[in-house]
Amino acid sequence: MILGGEKSSGSSVMDQVGENIIHHVSNSDIMHPIVHLPHMFGVDMSVTKHVLMLWIVALLVSITIIIPIRSYLKQKNFIPSGMANAIESITQFIRDSIVAPNVGSKWVNTWTPLMLTFFFFILFANGIGMIPIFDVLGVINRFVLNVPYEADHNFINGLLHGGVTATGNFNVTAALAMITFFSIIIAGTKAHGFINHWKNLVPHGLAWPIYIILIPIELMGLLVKPFALTMRLAANMTGGHIALLALLSLMAIFAEMFHSAAAGIGVALISVPMAAAISGLEIIVVIVQAYVFTLLTAVFVGMAINVHH
Amino acid sequence: MEATAFMPIGFGLIVIGAGLGIGKFASAAAESIARQPEAADKITGAVNLPLFLLEGVAILAEVFTFLMLIL
Repeated sequence: MILGGEKSSGSSVMDQVGENIIHHVSNSDIMHPIVHLPHMFGVDMSVTKHVLMLWIVALLVSITIIIPIRSYLKQKNFIPSGMANAIESITQFIRDSIVAPNVGSKWVNTWTPLMLTFFFFILFANGIGMIPIFDVLGVINRFVLNVPYEADHNFINGLLHGGVTATGNFNVTAALAMITFFSIIIAGTKAHGFINHWKNLVPHGLAWPIYIILIPIELMGLLVKPFALTMRLAANMTGGHIALLALLSLMAIFAEMFHSAAAGIGVALISVPMAAAISGLEIIVVIVQAYVFTLLTAVFVGMAINVHH
Repeated sequence: MEATAFMPIGFGLIVIGAGLGIGKFASAAAESIARQPEAADKITGAVNLPLFLLEGVAILAEVFTFLMLIL
């Protein structure tokens, strides 16, 4: 916040605060990417902050999940040790209390891997947003290495632009929800066949005027499900960070309003503990949102498999 | 008067609606757990899903209100 605030001097504090908050939750500018890449198929392939964060998340998931599981599968006796213990407990929780009750015992082993992938990926992507590693790097860069904020070609200065929560970007969550959308269709097709899956959208044997209302509603519901998933995850991740930054910004706003640093420091006594408490709440939200996305995907897949009419 | 002047009222209505809904869920869950403590796990499981769907609706409404403000 300090680093961003010094850049745009001249405008009022309220404008700077608003700019700062948006700057800290949105993706970095495509015009000033971290890594320049050429256009492919008419799309600018340059790496922005959220793309970099997705790569880091993929790397972290590989290190903490895939490698322990591979080494567990290679060993002779099936007694888990170390990291495999933790993964086993989470796997069992997701299989027994999220997937099995919704999808049914017949298809559990088909759909558990997808749900586990969703859970771990979203958990890591959400959780990494709470770790201020880039801000620490920026502070070291600024005050230890003495690189000025205006140095645009400095690599770490480039890293400072944009938010770190990749799941706070609607494009990322939309991509995740598209996977859910197609897996619903695949689940229904595998269980009932392609034609029967689409027939199962509406109940059989009703009077024909009801279908005139029911078919458009069900078709809309088909699209609303992934849309709601998209909005829920991204809005939750963005909203928490905005609340956190707004509380911290109260210091600057009050100091400006009363034209004294003492007012800012006085408000800091209240707003910093509040921000710490909201950070704690945010850690719960991180876990709950990963759980909710997994649960709702399981419910929707289960609805396509176990048709209740 | 501009339409965006009613934005805060819209936000307030969303929060009232979501708050009432979540409050009803919580009170019903607490009451039924008090009556049957042994069924606490099942009750929590049954409450979870509609709770998240309700929260999703509230967030959708807030996103749309926010989009109306900035577009």
